[in-house]
Amino acid sequence: MDAKDILGLPKNQIPIPQEKKSRLPKDSQRKSDGISREVYALTGGLAPLMPAIDVSQLKKRPPSDEKITWQWLPFSSSARKDDLQLFHWVRVVNGVPPKGDYAFAKYNKSVDIIKYTDEEYNKCLTDPGWTKGETDQLFELCEKFDLRFIVIADRFPSSHTVEELKDRYYSVSRALVAARATSSGDAAGHPLVKGPYNMQHEVERKRALSMVLSQTKQQERKDIEVLAEAKRIIESRIAAKAAGETELRVTGTADPGHSEKALGSGDLIVPGSLSGAAAPPIPITDYASTLTSLKLLRVYLRTYALDQMVQAVSSSAGLRTIKRIEQTLKELGVNLKPKVPTKAVCAEHLELRKEILTLLNLQKQLQYKEAEGTSIDDSLYMEAMGAPKRTPHGDQDRAFMAEPVAFGGDRPVKKDHKRKGSAGQSPLQSKRPRKMKAPDL
Amino acid sequence: MSSSTTRKPGENASPSPSPSPNPNPPEESGSSIKRIKITKSSEDPDKKKVVVTSAGKRLKDVEISVPIVYGTIAFYLGRKASESQSHKWTVYVRGATNEDLGVVVKRVVFQLHPSFNNPTRVIENPPFELSECGWGEFEIAISLFFHTDACDKQLDLYHHLKLYPEEESGPQSTKKPVVVESYDEVVFPDPSEAFFARVQNHPAVNVPRLPPGLNLPTPVPTETVNERERGDTKDHALNQWFMNFSEADELLKLAAARQQVQAHIIKLRRQLSVMDGMHQLPKQASAYE
Repeated sequence: MDAKDILGLPKNQIPIPQEKKSRLPKDSQRKSDGISREVYALTGGLAPLMPAIDVSQLKKRPPSDEKITWQWLPFSSSARKDDLQLFHWVRVVNGVPPKGDYAFAKYNKSVDIIKYTDEEYNKCLTDPGWTKGETDQLFELCEKFDLRFIVIADRFPSSHTVEELKDRYYSVSRALVAARATSSGDAAGHPLVKGPYNMQHEVERKRALSMVLSQTKQQERKDIEVLAEAKRIIESRIAAKAAGETELRVTGTADPGHSEKALGSGDLIVPGSLSGAAAPPIPITDYASTLTSLKLLRVYLRTYALDQMVQAVSSSAGLRTIKRIEQTLKELGVNLKPKVPTKAVCAEHLELRKEILTLLNLQKQLQYKEAEGTSIDDSLYMEAMGAPKRTPHGDQDRAFMAEPVAFGGDRPVKKDHKRKGSAGQSPLQSKRPRKMKAPDL
Repeated sequence: MSSSTTRKPGENASPSPSPSPNPNPPEESGSSIKRIKITKSSEDPDKKKVVVTSAGKRLKDVEISVPIVYGTIAFYLGRKASESQSHKWTVYVRGATNEDLGVVVKRVVFQLHPSFNNPTRVIENPPFELSECGWGEFEIAISLFFHTDACDKQLDLYHHLKLYPEEESGPQSTKKPVVVESYDEVVFPDPSEAFFARVQNHPAVNVPRLPPGLNLPTPVPTETVNERERGDTKDHALNQWFMNFSEADELLKLAAARQQVQAHIIKLRRQLSVMDGMHQLPKQASAYE
């Protein structure tokens, strides 16, 4: 209908405003009252299954027979132990101020700290590393600071680590609970008894956590790699064992040989499948058709032929990828159009372009995989916990696991891919003295 | 089988089975040509190297290439310069090794700016060049016409005439010209047998090695009356300004670049395989607890 309007066709001019009018009341009927049309449209124009807000309440006005005033009145809170008199605005209804305790007093919670008597201390709480005075101080601070051990450790006069303080506090409390329990059954149910504080474990845990946190990207990747390798070895060992078992049944010989084969083939399959997936097959039909079309020409220039082939190869890639290929060529010090386009040079140039395309596609794949893999950091920490006595990485000499290098240019990369100029790049990337060249035609 | 790569034309380096006066496997000149697998065409009818078309027999999967250089050399006229004629320039098409292109090219037509009278200049004989005086830079269209046995279609090139040097280092020198040259190769795919036979020994032309036993017809020399003494540019007046085009440097650079890229591809593939292995770790982690 609007199209006809735009076209300027005269018919249906009168019915149109009528349509608009009929549409409006329908619209307003559909939306629920109480919310403006625009707000309603935010939800997608549909009513939610469960109304989050009681819509009828929104526009409710207070009953008009009540008289509301606001007064600046003093109040007292059961949470305060002093007599401090504070004031605040109070909603007074018909001259009657609200009664009851200060509304927020109920949030004044504190930790239940078990207090010991001197006898109890002497009986079961003595410890060679702790004097009574220190223990008393500790408990005082614990109560004052609600078991916030970091603060307590800071305030504690003599230097003890957080774990030591925790250890002392919990062991004392535990002993107290155990001592005061009427029967062993009661004590066993107490959370302090059920879950004893293990200082060693805690120290280890925190150390592992800080290690994971402070890992550089390098180490992270190395760790991932080591874990993956370990996993692969385990898997292949299992596979080899299974294979070996079946082999044993058939032939009793060459078990280690078979398991090695299984290992080898397992290893080979992974990169093989990857290479198949990673490198998108360059459409052979394009290539062949370009060749035939060239042959039909009867005569052509080598540069023209190269152009056609380059187009055929890059047909699978978008314009941005083509720009990136050209950027890479520039960074490699290669002319976009060869200066001496002989048959050999053109062939090499074409192959180089194809390889760069493969490289860029692989980089893209890697990006996607990394994006998926950020959630893997959690699993890494769990790994650290599971084996806290892990030896430091012995694979510093893994030369190939190097910094990610991006030849390509200016795409917004999440991780810090280095552009050209990465350390350790081959010296060929440094600028060569350029020959005087004619401008490109 | 002959293993020599250089031989004088007209000499029989190895005995041929057929008594034809044909000179045997031609010499290779210049850039690398892939060796063609020797398959006896008589035994394997599917792999005929010769295709019969209306233009006579053609050699399939064979290409003849002629490396050329085309461009301009422009001199500032200095004292003799006038408002309308400040530079003397020459546009030309020459063999990359300064050999005579007349063996392949019948004539060259240079299309100049319409402000020149008779802007369509036809050069019937090698060396294919044209000199003029002027003040302006413009695009020159160069059309190559070949001998009929080579190709009946013309080939067009375009070159921008440059008169003024890049760096504006004061007044222009009359001694040092502005030279702009481009290298290219004219490729004849599936050439006719006659053409192949005629040019196979010419230094200006790159022909591949053909399998022995392929009988080519007797070459018929083209009828050209060359008014000029010689068609090659080896002793050309301007040849001190000719640029040298060597593919070696470019090949080296390309090979190095390819190595770098290949190394990176390997790195990335390894990284990807590690990540693939890694993705299954979270499920395994629970086994450790």
